[in-house]
Amino acid sequence: MNLNEADAQALAAKVIALSKADSCVVEFSGYDNRHIRYAQNMATTSGAPGNIGFGIESHFGKHVGSASGNDLSDEGLAALVAASEKTAKLAPENPEFLPPLGPQKYAKGVSFAPVTEAASPEMLAASVQPVLRQAQEQHLQASGFLEVGASFSCFATSKGLFAYHRSTSVQHTLTARTPDGTGSGWAGTTHYDFSQLDAAALGAVAMDKAVRSHKPAALPPGKYTVILEPSAVADLVGLMIRDEFDARSADEGRNFATKKGGGSRLGESVFGKNISIYSDPSDPLVPGTVYSDDGLPAEPVAWVENGVLKNLTCSRYWAQKSKYRPVSSPTTLAMKGGTTSTAEMVKQTKKGLLITRFWYIREVDPQTVLFTGLTRDGVFLIENGEITRPVQNFRFNESPVAMLNRVMAMGPSVRAYGEEVGNFPISVPTLLVDGFALSSVSDAV
Amino acid sequence: MGGCACATLLPPAYLLGTHNAAALEIAEKLDLAGKLRLADLALDAAKKAGASYADFRLCRYQDEYLEVKERRVETSATGLSVGFAVRVLLDGTWGYAASPLATEAEIRQAVTRAAQVAKASQPLQSRKFVLEDIPAYQDRWDMPMKADPFKVSTNEKIAKLLEINEAALKAGADYATAVFAFVREEKFFASSRGSRIEQTRVRVIPETEVTVIDKATGHFSTRAGFAPPRGSGYDYILSYDFIGEAAKAAEQAREKLKAKPVVADTYDLVLDPTNLWLTIHESVGHPTELDRALGWEANFAGTTFVTPDQLGKLKYGSSLMNIIADRSQEGGLSTVGYDDDGVRSAGSEFAIVKDGIFVNYQTAIGQAQLIGQKASNGCAFADSWSTFPIQRMPNVSLAPNPKACTLDDLFADVKRGIYIMGNGSWSIDQQRHNFQFGGQLFYEIKNGKLGGMLRDVAYQGDTTGFWNSMDGLGDKSTYFLGGAPNCGKGQPEQTAPVSHGAVPARFRKVNVLNTARKDLA
Repeated sequence: MNLNEADAQALAAKVIALSKADSCVVEFSGYDNRHIRYAQNMATTSGAPGNIGFGIESHFGKHVGSASGNDLSDEGLAALVAASEKTAKLAPENPEFLPPLGPQKYAKGVSFAPVTEAASPEMLAASVQPVLRQAQEQHLQASGFLEVGASFSCFATSKGLFAYHRSTSVQHTLTARTPDGTGSGWAGTTHYDFSQLDAAALGAVAMDKAVRSHKPAALPPGKYTVILEPSAVADLVGLMIRDEFDARSADEGRNFATKKGGGSRLGESVFGKNISIYSDPSDPLVPGTVYSDDGLPAEPVAWVENGVLKNLTCSRYWAQKSKYRPVSSPTTLAMKGGTTSTAEMVKQTKKGLLITRFWYIREVDPQTVLFTGLTRDGVFLIENGEITRPVQNFRFNESPVAMLNRVMAMGPSVRAYGEEVGNFPISVPTLLVDGFALSSVSDAV
Repeated sequence: MGGCACATLLPPAYLLGTHNAAALEIAEKLDLAGKLRLADLALDAAKKAGASYADFRLCRYQDEYLEVKERRVETSATGLSVGFAVRVLLDGTWGYAASPLATEAEIRQAVTRAAQVAKASQPLQSRKFVLEDIPAYQDRWDMPMKADPFKVSTNEKIAKLLEINEAALKAGADYATAVFAFVREEKFFASSRGSRIEQTRVRVIPETEVTVIDKATGHFSTRAGFAPPRGSGYDYILSYDFIGEAAKAAEQAREKLKAKPVVADTYDLVLDPTNLWLTIHESVGHPTELDRALGWEANFAGTTFVTPDQLGKLKYGSSLMNIIADRSQEGGLSTVGYDDDGVRSAGSEFAIVKDGIFVNYQTAIGQAQLIGQKASNGCAFADSWSTFPIQRMPNVSLAPNPKACTLDDLFADVKRGIYIMGNGSWSIDQQRHNFQFGGQLFYEIKNGKLGGMLRDVAYQGDTTGFWNSMDGLGDKSTYFLGGAPNCGKGQPEQTAPVSHGAVPARFRKVNVLNTARKDLA
């Protein structure tokens, strides 16, 4: 369920008028989604859910409380306002409280496509049908998920701030498997524009990988030169920025960016000189939400530039305390790419592995940002500049911070879907990396 | 459908502040008679749309989230979410629709949308879904609970959280976080097979963590609390010694900074149930889900190495291994009277692994007959009114040793080993073979005795090799009910609460990594 900007603004004003607190922050968000889920070449659990929600944070002095719900009747709104005020009055003072922001200037959102909003279940089914036909013709089993949706969110304060963003989203991921269970391939994408989706082309990639990964051989664990396809890179880079790039925890001594003896490593060369990572909500390839934490505008930010750690997210409170500046969480990410094609990377690799994507990534050591996880849906051995055969999956134990010091070549930056970052808009290149730590073999297919 | 009537018709009603009589019919204000009336309306509309089966779920979720960092309240929030879903099976194809507005008009529209989705998907339906007979129930089930957490004042809860952090800070922690989250789940289920079921349960989710810093070296360490989430009342919070644990955790985190790094090698492991419950979840709970075995999760959660031809044959573990599924265990997060397919689950305990042999999958409706079984064993769950019920775990637990065996008995037969408590990082492959688990605390075992603290430990293994190496198991006096509030599965992804009972167990010759080693490969 979606609201246009004028209706959202009127509703926010109505809630703010109900507030008896010294100040308040009001948020609304809603969506209408349609999805087709399929497995074993047939539809499974498809649906069309929608929701609309509302949250209010009330402030009395430095006493803060919040409430959220999805009953937007007059009575429902009034009840939630009252609940947040009751909670605030009960809460002890928060010494870190800062009053809400006043009006801000926002860029115009560019992640909305009417064609996506209008995409019907019939259109979704028509996109998927060629994929299933192709799978049946090749005697493969296709499983996947195609979801389209339209959503909105708004953020308003009693000090006059109002931010609104509406967007559409398309996600299609699919896995093709050989009937004997020894081969598996995957492809996936996200976009905001349904007309950009070529489900059959994605299906062809997944099916080609399924066939080529059939009956993989085992290789010993060890450090390998690897070519990481964009999905794998998106997960490692996306998780690192999302979970680790925080000024406060660095200053407090509990982060990879903590400097020995105190303070953070901002301004230091932490990554290889060929690494640059930015966020820009107006990036046409990966547009993001126009506002971020506390209603601050989501501005273009350089996180890493030529290997130098340039920015960490920083709350308004911590900025004040540390004399830094507020830096909002990114609403999109783009890692600068290069010009080396995957074929060229293969050609220049004497012995290495081509990795399609990762699965079940978890942090092992926050000090070094050591992650563990597994390869999935297509690992191929490269020998003397050629892909020679499929190999079994591996568990890795690797830190993206360390890995981004060993990047030997990069492809162009492309929009990518990683299982851990999901629909978050991110563009990354394919990477050629030296000495990637694959610590054990997995015979999962 | 994106521009459905909801988006264009409803907001003006809110904005104009009109008395929207229909909107007032939301579940929050409905009595049983009202719910029954809406259910009849939905099921009748579904029948008219041609559905051979339909169900209607009307749910209300109330939650409270309190987070304290050091000596300040970071978050004090309450939430309420109400809505319904209609699911139809039309010519063997599923379709569903969900909405927060339980009005007559919206229910009719949702049925139309669900039928539209099903019809649109029919060209993709190479095999039709067939449902087994499901008995009809008219019942009400409420989770037994002593103290309703929503009746305890927020002040009292915050005071407790502040007390926990104070204990940690006084004991030397540099940072401390304490969280209490509470959820009340109310579900009304009605199906075209005749069931009308009301259920209520409550979840209590405590989370604590302390951090200590060594500024000179730039190193830090953390220690997370061991208190698991439970299907319980506030009495659970009162019964757990959070204060004592917080103080101890601060000391242990400090000790961890100076602990001896583990030497990577194979070791005998004694896993405390505070660690083992998660290993059970990942390496036994997930692999024995029938939808994974059927390939229905191939694109996300994955498939499983436990294929249907191995039913009754696969030697999953040693003969000491007995894994029981239940939805009745006191405090269990999966404890419930009926699952979200309307299948009776209370009291229907079944074995998944018996004396080391794999004997049963967990199932939802429309699955069991595909492997020659008669009916679902009641393991369907939807995490919201807005999601489709899929097969999710009941409480899946490791049965205690019938013979007397204490933790010290398990240590006694270890020459060179490691004792692991609490959960660290965890990861397992998509077919549930290769896993790696960390922990919170690690201690050497030398010649049958517990020694000093170790650090940087993670263990790797393959599921059947690991469980077949188990040669020691604690008795019922060592039983502990662990669990997670947020197990992920399905597309769109759903999170399910699930509990796992465990006892300490001994495993031989397990591969152990040093996670701080530069050369991990």
